[in-house]
Amino acid sequence: MAVQTFLFASLIIFSSSIESNHGATEVSLFTNLENSLEVTATRVGVVLEAGKDMVRITWMLKSSAKVDDDAAFKTVEVKLCYAPISQVDRPWRKTHNELSRDRSCPHKIVSKPYDNIPQSLNWTIDRETPTGTYFVRVYGIGVNGQEVAYGQSSDAEKTTNLFSVEGISGGHTSLDIASICFSVFSFGSLLVFLVKEKRKAKLQQRK
Amino acid sequence: MAHRNEEEGSIGTSMHGVTAKEHVFSFSDQGEDAWSSHSVQSDDPTAMFAFPVDSEHKAKMYPNISLHHLVPIIRDNLDLTKTDIGNAGVASVSGAIFSRLAMGAVCDLLGARYGTAFLLMLSAPAVFSMSFVADAGGYLSVRFMIGFCLATFVSCSYWTSVMFTGKIIGLVNGCAGGWGDMGGGVTQLLMPMVFHIIKVAGATPFTAWRIAFFIPGFLQVIMGILVLTLGQDLPDGNLSTLQKKGDVSKDKLTKVFWYALRNYRTYVLFILYGFSMGIEMTINNVISEYFFDSFEQGFQLELHTAGMIAASFGMANFFARPIGGFASDVSARFFGMRGRLWTLWILQTSGGLFCVWLGRATSLPIAILAMMLFSFGVQAACGAIFGIVPFVSPRSLGIISGLTGAGGNFGSGLTQLAFFSSSRFHTADGLSLMGITAMIFTLLVAFIHFPQWGSMFLGPTSDSRTSKEEHYYVAEWTEEEKLQGLHEGSLKFAENSRSERGKKAAPDGTSTPLENENPANV
Repeated sequence: MAVQTFLFASLIIFSSSIESNHGATEVSLFTNLENSLEVTATRVGVVLEAGKDMVRITWMLKSSAKVDDDAAFKTVEVKLCYAPISQVDRPWRKTHNELSRDRSCPHKIVSKPYDNIPQSLNWTIDRETPTGTYFVRVYGIGVNGQEVAYGQSSDAEKTTNLFSVEGISGGHTSLDIASICFSVFSFGSLLVFLVKEKRKAKLQQRK
Repeated sequence: MAHRNEEEGSIGTSMHGVTAKEHVFSFSDQGEDAWSSHSVQSDDPTAMFAFPVDSEHKAKMYPNISLHHLVPIIRDNLDLTKTDIGNAGVASVSGAIFSRLAMGAVCDLLGARYGTAFLLMLSAPAVFSMSFVADAGGYLSVRFMIGFCLATFVSCSYWTSVMFTGKIIGLVNGCAGGWGDMGGGVTQLLMPMVFHIIKVAGATPFTAWRIAFFIPGFLQVIMGILVLTLGQDLPDGNLSTLQKKGDVSKDKLTKVFWYALRNYRTYVLFILYGFSMGIEMTINNVISEYFFDSFEQGFQLELHTAGMIAASFGMANFFARPIGGFASDVSARFFGMRGRLWTLWILQTSGGLFCVWLGRATSLPIAILAMMLFSFGVQAACGAIFGIVPFVSPRSLGIISGLTGAGGNFGSGLTQLAFFSSSRFHTADGLSLMGITAMIFTLLVAFIHFPQWGSMFLGPTSDSRTSKEEHYYVAEWTEEEKLQGLHEGSLKFAENSRSERGKKAAPDGTSTPLENENPANV
């Protein structure tokens, strides 16, 4: 019981030190953001392989935006986001209006200081990217670290201009061989024991 | 006698009333002179016995629980949906329903040692084959196959039930079962560490989790070898040796099965265990995800914190289940079997109640508190159930243990399917509904009635013939079998089970006239 109480107490202490977003003075909502960035993502080929293929990403201020709309930007964050089809039946990738609780854009591509000129990037898809359908979103981050504007390579419903990524399998031939060897060892040692015991029993019976 | 005092003493239980005539095993027919050979040959193996069996359990839970913490990595690697994960969870516990039933029969006929070792070493390849899995179908099949090794629970509880006496059986089964289930909690702590070390060594996450799976595989093979080399089936030796010497009778599978199925208490225990162990297994499957993904609840946690919380749920087994078994034994001392039944009802109902509270929790500290109380209630209830199982039928002990164990898996599969596999309920609502269902089914405890000891609300029968323990236990043997003397083990068991009368038990050392001739107590 002592261990249980200790575990419980340490968890309470731990949990009170976990940041709670309810204490934040201002909550960043997606719907509050200005869609003032124009983002494109082009690729070669239909299905891209993680770790191998490349996507060319460009972003710039929209021509329709007001003159000093980008005065608030300090940095831009380019993120890889799940398309709705990759979110179906996967509540851990849910889109949430409150940006700190949003789980739909977990993969960060790059974070750069903002330059008032069109920028581009040739990005090789990260090897740890899981299989899925994606689009690219760029957030404009203000001085206080919160998002103030965004742009994405797809439309508002996230149906156009999507690209698929094929993740790595994680398997290796050496792993497969090792697992076969150990399985054979397991069967083999069982057989050896059984044979030994049968022999011992026969010897004892003869005595 | 020396060896048995050692075992009992090492568990730290009361030994009141231990006389020279107290027998531990259900089948053996040792005479007076065999005691001397006990202290010579059985000393070492049985003293070491306790360890292979207990740590054995831990190895059993490893492969199954290893997955839970790594699921966020695995679901990305294999592109799984919530339905895939839910189905795999159901599959992992369903495989064990059949294997637990089969294991019960194997124990009755071949002994617990072979049963355990075969299962461990034959299912180790399933654990190793995790490295091949590439999609949802493969994931489901491998989890199904790994689930088979949960049957070691049956062989271990059978093993402890034949090695230890009825007065402490609650505590013993509680320790063996509880420390085994604790293995689940240990895994939740260990696997992330192993995974992290492998990642640091240079592997990508999608490879690292596959490598991490070799650890439980190794442990399984090692435990299988230890069981074969260090264990023995019965206090007097191994089953095949004793059967050849004629000390233990060989029983027929059909008979053993029939007497288990004929006893209605088997079915009640099947359902009851489904709502103690069953919901415990379900929680093992859903709790890390619940804490990690609970953005709906308003609290977000890092992966390792969620893992830690889930681990503490499993770790509570170290105390909770033995305490449940111990509480069962203590209540039996005062109130006999009725005490055991009430203890079970109280523990399991409070488990269900705290499950409802967990579902309703809105803040992290409350959720954790509810979870700890829930874990204690439910795990102690598991311990209490196995304080009752050994008394239902010594002849079919294996099958009944197997059926009860299978009930746990069945309950887990059912609750996962009903409450956690679709997007119909939020996980939190699923928890509350599961708790309410558990409380309703726990009312079935009131229906367990023994003619010689009574039940929760009724006393023992007043008929002088049927109110004897011997009548209940010998009723499982036919006249021809009795003529052959095959029922001797049951008679001895009946004599020892008189302790389940509580305070009204006849003082140890004196005996009431038995139906057959036996050496009179000195």
